[in-house]
Formats: sequence, structure tokens, C-alpha cells
Amino acid sequence: MTGTADLKEFIAAYLVEAEEHLTVANTQLLAIESAQRSGETNPRAVRETFRSLHTIKGLSAMVGVEPVVAIAHRMENFLRDTDRSGGTLPQLAIDALLRGVRAIEQRVAALSRGDAAAAPSEELLAALDSLGLGTKPVARSPVAVLELEPALLAKLAPFEVEQLLRGIAAGQRALRAEFSPSPERATQGLTINSIRERMAKVADIVRVLPRAVPMSPEAPGGLCFVLILLTRSTDDTITDAVGLNRGSLQSIVRTAPEPVADAEVAPNVESALDGAEDGPLDALSRRGVVRVDVSRLDDAMEGLSALIVTRFRLTRAIASLSESGVNTRELTEILKDNARQLRDLRAAIVRVRMVPVSELLERLPLLVRGLQRATHRLVRLELEGGNAELDKSVSERVFPALVHLVRNAVDHAIETPDERLRRNKPEEGLLRITCGARGSTRLEITVSDDGRGIDRAAVAKKAGRADPAGDTDLLDLLCIPGLSTREVVTTTSGRGMGMEIVKRTIVDELGGELEVHSQLGQGTTFTLRVPLTISIVDAFSFECEGQRFVVPVTMVEEIIEVDASDFVQLPANDDGSPTLNIISRRGAALPMLQLAHVFKLQSGKELSARKAIVVRRAGAPIAFAVDRMLGQQEVVIRPINDVLLRAPGVSGATDLGDGRPTLVLDLVALSASLTRGTPGEAKAASAVTQLPARMR
Amino acid sequence: MTEILVVDDSKVMRDMIVACLRAIPDTSFSHASSGLEAIERLSLARFDLLVLDLNMPDIGGVEVLEFVRAQDTLRALPVLIVTTRGDDQSRERVLQAGATGFLAKPFTPDSIIAEVRAILADGAEHVA
Amino acid sequence: MKLHVVFSIAGAEYALPFDSVLQMESYDGATLVPGAPDYVDGIVTVRGLVVPVVDLRTRFGLPRAELNLDTRIILTESRARVVALRVDSAREVIKLDIDKHQPAPSVVIERSSGFVHAVHPLGKRLLLLLDLPKLLGEDSHDSKSRALPEDDGSLDRAQLPG
Repeated sequence: MTGTADLKEFIAAYLVEAEEHLTVANTQLLAIESAQRSGETNPRAVRETFRSLHTIKGLSAMVGVEPVVAIAHRMENFLRDTDRSGGTLPQLAIDALLRGVRAIEQRVAALSRGDAAAAPSEELLAALDSLGLGTKPVARSPVAVLELEPALLAKLAPFEVEQLLRGIAAGQRALRAEFSPSPERATQGLTINSIRERMAKVADIVRVLPRAVPMSPEAPGGLCFVLILLTRSTDDTITDAVGLNRGSLQSIVRTAPEPVADAEVAPNVESALDGAEDGPLDALSRRGVVRVDVSRLDDAMEGLSALIVTRFRLTRAIASLSESGVNTRELTEILKDNARQLRDLRAAIVRVRMVPVSELLERLPLLVRGLQRATHRLVRLELEGGNAELDKSVSERVFPALVHLVRNAVDHAIETPDERLRRNKPEEGLLRITCGARGSTRLEITVSDDGRGIDRAAVAKKAGRADPAGDTDLLDLLCIPGLSTREVVTTTSGRGMGMEIVKRTIVDELGGELEVHSQLGQGTTFTLRVPLTISIVDAFSFECEGQRFVVPVTMVEEIIEVDASDFVQLPANDDGSPTLNIISRRGAALPMLQLAHVFKLQSGKELSARKAIVVRRAGAPIAFAVDRMLGQQEVVIRPINDVLLRAPGVSGATDLGDGRPTLVLDLVALSASLTRGTPGEAKAASAVTQLPARMR
Repeated sequence: MTEILVVDDSKVMRDMIVACLRAIPDTSFSHASSGLEAIERLSLARFDLLVLDLNMPDIGGVEVLEFVRAQDTLRALPVLIVTTRGDDQSRERVLQAGATGFLAKPFTPDSIIAEVRAILADGAEHVA
Repeated sequence: MKLHVVFSIAGAEYALPFDSVLQMESYDGATLVPGAPDYVDGIVTVRGLVVPVVDLRTRFGLPRAELNLDTRIILTESRARVVALRVDSAREVIKLDIDKHQPAPSVVIERSSGFVHAVHPLGKRLLLLLDLPKLLGEDSHDSKSRALPEDDGSLDRAQLPG
């Protein structure tokens, strides 16, 4: 038998879970704060926060992180008392609790770096200790309106009863749904977890209560779960969504209210939190979630691309076998299955790497809150995320850039409340961040403020350059390393190097776009566009002057034959740019460029091209003539980011199985870079009239 | 084979408990991350020991324990409660609710192994 | 004393600090990237990375050379960029006493377009020390970290009540 377990080995996993709970604590505390601003309490949030701190304390004790235990213990005690007394937290308490969360975050971060967790300051501990309140049990609520067995009713917490009553008063339906687990239902995917998950989409789950029932074919485990619900959905909607049958739903609203003096069925406040162990149902319910290290996903992707390359080699090997007369039919069939499986695997891995944009946005409210304090501004943050998802490594790179823009907005752009009033603006500045998918490959993020806008002249002067003509020039100015328009470096930002790094991350590293639009006195909007995923795409491979290239299938409209007699060559351009040709396609004139000329692979006029790839740019088709098409396959596109490799039309590199990189071309972008308002287009137009009649 | 169901909403915690108890020969482990899930599992399969955390999102460990003790089929199931509240009052309360054993966090690998060994050796009797 | 990689181009010997070198590989050509600067041979794949190959001869304004068995590429890392340098040969890794570095004569700096920033006499040899960031086309000599100032602790002070 091996030696006893060393719990210190669990530190890494502990740090991951701790971070999750800290996020919950932050979110819940902010929710409490905002509820209290509108004069309401949020007891559920109090309880959730309590639970998070309690779990953090327990885990920290197990792995021996004493400083965190000390902080969490005090916070947990205070939250338990708060819950008992009805869940009201004075602002000072919320601040102190957020401080406590922050203190734990710092120690968790330190441990992640391999440093020790510092002992908490006496001042922090004293601040947390002094939060203690006296306990006052909550008054009981009348439950005459609800029709539910006393045994079940007794198990509901006061705030749950209150939730039901308020819901009924607001016109919602209060129901119970019953579910008995069984092996058959489990194989059909019906478990208490899956039922809860689906139910949460069509109803608010107030509570789930287990009850013992006599064993029967219907309930082979002798167990039935009763879900207490509030909803506006119909019974059919619910049963369809969840997979239960109609008979399992029943209303729990009494049709004829009875006098209050009935049995004292108020829930037992004592048991609610003193054992510190009960908790409400998490309305978001626990999804089966696994945290995965991004590097493991990278490994999986590497493995996958190796598989794809191997399959391509297999295909070629089979092709040459076939050429020498071997019957490869069965092999080909197997390879087709293999292709399909690889495609599915690829899709699955790509999906795993995707994270929702909310991950980018969820930490921003806390950041803005702190920034407001530090800079004495009032800022309202509006977030619009939508349902987009993006690759985890893209998200990780975008986040610091986003943080920088937010800091800039609060610190530099948005004016103090006084100044804003003087300018007839509302006291509270507005910071709006939106995320939306652009097409199927890009995510567009905008960060806009209604602050003072960018003073172009001041920026230009600081940079020692001329006033920027348009927004593009302004952006270039802003991204000069070391630029800062503040004489004094402020506490939160203003070191002046941030904008340059935003550009480097978004544009150079990720191959995205960055734009700014600003109006003096009115506000500024930054727009970022980043790729959603790293790509594995279907691509055509072809050869041009002995060199191989690939182009994504989705970009190609058509591949046509090219015959020397089919096209007309226009007169050469004076500026040496590649000559345009016109080829006839289904009676219409199609401009065509020879890729060999465009890439200066060969300058002779002789055409060795036999095929042309047609793409469409801004609605107009254009063709690129190449020597021959090689085939179609899935390729992994690796971005090529280095500044030395910025070339029009080159969007990445891939491996076709020979270990050498093959360029991935973006023919649409290439054509854009070549024909931007060039004389070529005008020439093309006039050349059409010169075409022989049969080609027109 | 001793079938053990480990119930705690923290995966790290569950993994740590399993890592400790693996030292005991012939053990096989199942996981549940909530009280409701634990009750569901217990109703559908046979277990020799339930290791139960008290602090969980949907229903607390005490309620699970009370539910278990109210079932004929589960009444004799040994239950080891694991909790951060190590004070005597909590211990009493938990044992009165029908726990077979009680262990306060943080615990060392040796202590949980000793508790479990003791419980299993006693068969299905309560140690209340 | 610091380890340096020594390589030669057109008979002259150069040195780069070892800690900016990832590895050295033999070389039989790169995939051409149309539109890249003329001193970029193209791209190669090394250790799963797609890296540009800078032909140092061209970069130094010297005529190109034929590939032979001695040709090497040196993978260098500078400020999160990985770039391969093509050289005639690279055979030595030696320890140099950096105190013995001497400033390069101005004519050498001029002739090398500023790529050589110091020299190191070694017995009868004279090793030329390269300014790697400049070689790779970096604009500034800013040596600050790339990381964004996300968490500089100032937020802490901001959150204290009162």
C-alpha cells in the first residue's frame, strides 16, 4: 500500500475552486448592494455569499492556508448573523466584505504564482470583527394561502415562503412538480440534476424537497422529489421542456384561503443556518462543469492537427496504391469514416475551447466600482454581451486590453460630476460595453463613453506631430509608445504605454482590428474586432509556379478552366502592378489576375495557368489564375503574427503533411489590396466594350 | 468491495477525501455534488458508507441524514459527517440526528482513515 | 561570464547572448512569403511554431549565398517574438566575460547600419556583438514588460472605506 495522501498536492485544484467561489461572492455582494439601493433585500444572495465563504474556509483549512481561513471565518460569521436578521447589510459592511474578498483574492493569486499567502493585517481583521450584529429572528409569515403538506411546508425557509407569496400576489403560478428517479429514467437522461437544469429555464425553482414514498414500479427507489415552483409558463410548456408528464404537476395555491390561526407551520428558523449547513436551491443550478487548463486544450488541438495531417498522408498513400492497381475500395471507405470522425472530434474540441463572452464581461462591474471610488467619478456601466462565445486563448488576450480601455474611460474620459453638470450632462457618466458576433468568424467589442472626447490637438502636440486628419491617424497617434496626455501619472492608469499594447495585442497578435471614433465634448468609442476561434477549415490546395498554397473553401465561389484563347489581356499598367485580364464566364466579363504575377513569382507574360479561382469581393467577382488544383482537405490554420510577415492576402500558414509551412491565402483581401480604386477597374470597364462580341 | 458514496459540493474536497481513503483496501468510490443528488443515488444503488458534508447548496447534510434515517432501506447505512463546525454542540446535534461518525475539518488523512475503519469494523451499528 | 552563441557571416564572426537563443537548426529553405521585406527568406515550422527567417547577409547588405551543409538558422526570442536568423555557419557556444566588451568603432556601427553595438576581442579573433531588437526591426528600445498594468495594487487603496 502506498503512503498516506498528501493534501498539499491539491493546492492547484484548490486555487481553481477558490477562484470560482470568490467570483460568486463578488457577484452576490454587488447584487446585494444594488438591491439595497432600491430599498430591497436579497436574502438569497446573502446566503450564497455565506456559502461561498464557508466553502473557501473549509477548503483552505484542509490545504493549510491559514491566512485565508482567518479572513473567511470572520466574514462567514458575520454573514450567518446577517442572514438570521433578515439580510440587511449597511454599506460599510458591504465595503468591508468586498475588502475581505479582495484580500482572499490576493492571497490566492500569490499562491498561484508560487509565493506565500501573507498574513492578514490586524486592521483588516479588526474591521471584519467589528461588523458583528445582534441576532433577531425573523417574524413568521402567514402561510394560509399555500396548499402543501405540513411536513413539506415546515421545511421551507421564511424567505422562500415570502418568495412564493410575493410571486402569487404578482400573478405567477405556484406549482409543485414531482419526479421519482429510476434506473430507466436515468438512462433516458432524467436525473434530479438534469430535471433541475431544464426546469430552471421555464420556472423559478423555489425549493426541491425529497420525500420517501412506498416503493413501486413508478418509484423503484422509494424516493420522490417535490419541486416547488413559481412560473408564468403553462403546464404543457413545463412538461415539454423538462420531460415529465402532466400528472406530475399540481398547483399549490389554495382556492379558498383559510384563517391564519391554523397550525403553526412556520419553518424552523433555528435550523436554517446555525448548523451553518443548510442552503437554498441555487436557481442557476449546478451544471456539470469541468475546469480545464487551456494548455491541455492546446495539446488536444496539436494532437488533432497531427491526426489530420496523418490522414492526408494516408489518402495520398492509398491514391498511389490505387494507381498501381491495388483494390483500395475498402480502405477508402474506412478513410471516409475516419474523416467524418475527425470532423466531429474537431468540432467537439473547438467547442470545448469556447467560452461565453460573459467571461470577459463579468469582472468589469467590480473594476468600475473600484475605479469610481479612486477617481471620484460617477459611472454607470452598461454591458451587453449577447450569446457569443469565443476561443479561450483569444478571450485571455482580449481581457487585459479591455481592462485598459475601461480604466482610460473612467480615469481620463469621463468628467467629474461637477464638470459634467456644468456641461449639461447627467452627473453620472455612461460607459457602455457591447459584444456581438460579426459574421461567423469575428467578435466585435465596443467600449464607448459619453465623456470629454479626445483632444486631437493636445495629443498631436504631445507627440510632436501634426494634427491627425481622420480617426485612423488619431489611432496611430494614440498608439505611439510612451504617449500620455496627463502630466501626472494617476493612480489607476496613465502610464501611457497601454494603448500601444492594446494595438499590439488586438491587431498584431490576434490579427484583429482596432478603431477609434471620438468627438470632442461628446465621447469616445473604441471598436475591437477579434477572431472568434482559431481555425480548422476546409481548404482547396493548389499550385502556382511550383509553390503550393491553400485557400479556404468558404471563400471560393467557383473554380473555372482557363484557356489561352478565352481571355483578353489588358495593356500593362505604368506602375508595374499586375496586369488585369478579362475572361468570359457564362456570358459575363470577369476580371482575372494571375497569381504568379501578383506574387511576383515569375514575371514572364507566358501563362502557365490552367485554372482560375473565383472569389467575390464587395459583390463583384474576381478570379485568380493558378497552375493547377491539387485537392481539397481540412487544414489547421496557424496565424502568422510577426510584423515581418505582414503581407496582403496572406492570412496564415498550414502544414499539408510535408513538414513545411504552406501559405493560407485570403484572396478577397488580396484583391482588395490590389484593386483599391486603381486605374485597373476603370480600364476593365472600358475594356469590356472592346471584347469580341462572342464574349460579351 | 466496500462501496463508498462521497458527497460534497466541492470537487476538490471530494477528491481529497477519496485520496485519503484509497489507503483502505477494497474500496470503490462514487461522487455526488449535492444533497438531492446524494439521495437520488442512494435510492438507486447500494452503498456501504456515506461520507457527507453538511454545507451544500440545495438541502443540507442534516436534512439528508434525517431523510436517510427515516427510510427502512437506508436506516442502517453508516454515515460519516464531515463539517467545518467542530464544536461540541454541533457534534451533539449531528450525532442525535443519526450520524454514525463525526469529523471536523480540517482533518488529517490519518484521522479520516481511522474514523472510516472504525465505522466499517463496527458493521452497521450506530455509534451514537 | 555569460554564454554566447558564435556564428559567422561572410567571414566575420558575431555573437549573441545564449539566453536569447532558443535553438539552432540546419536549414534547407523556407516557404516564400510574397510581400514580406526582401531580407525575409520566408517562413519555417520549428517546434510547432511558424517563424520568419531573416537572412542576415541580406540584412547586412551583403550578397546572398547558396545553401550548403553548414548553413544554419538560429532561433532567437526577443520581447515575445520568435525569429530565425539565417547564418553561414554556427558552431560555437562560449563563455564571454561581458566586462571585456568594448564599444564598437563608429565606422563599424555605420557600416553595419547600427546592428553591431559592441565588439569583443578574443585572442586573435574579434567578435561582433549584435543588437537583436534592432536587427528584428523593433522600433524602440523600451525594455518595459509587455504585460498590461492590470493589477498594480492601486485598486486596494481605492477600496478602503473613508
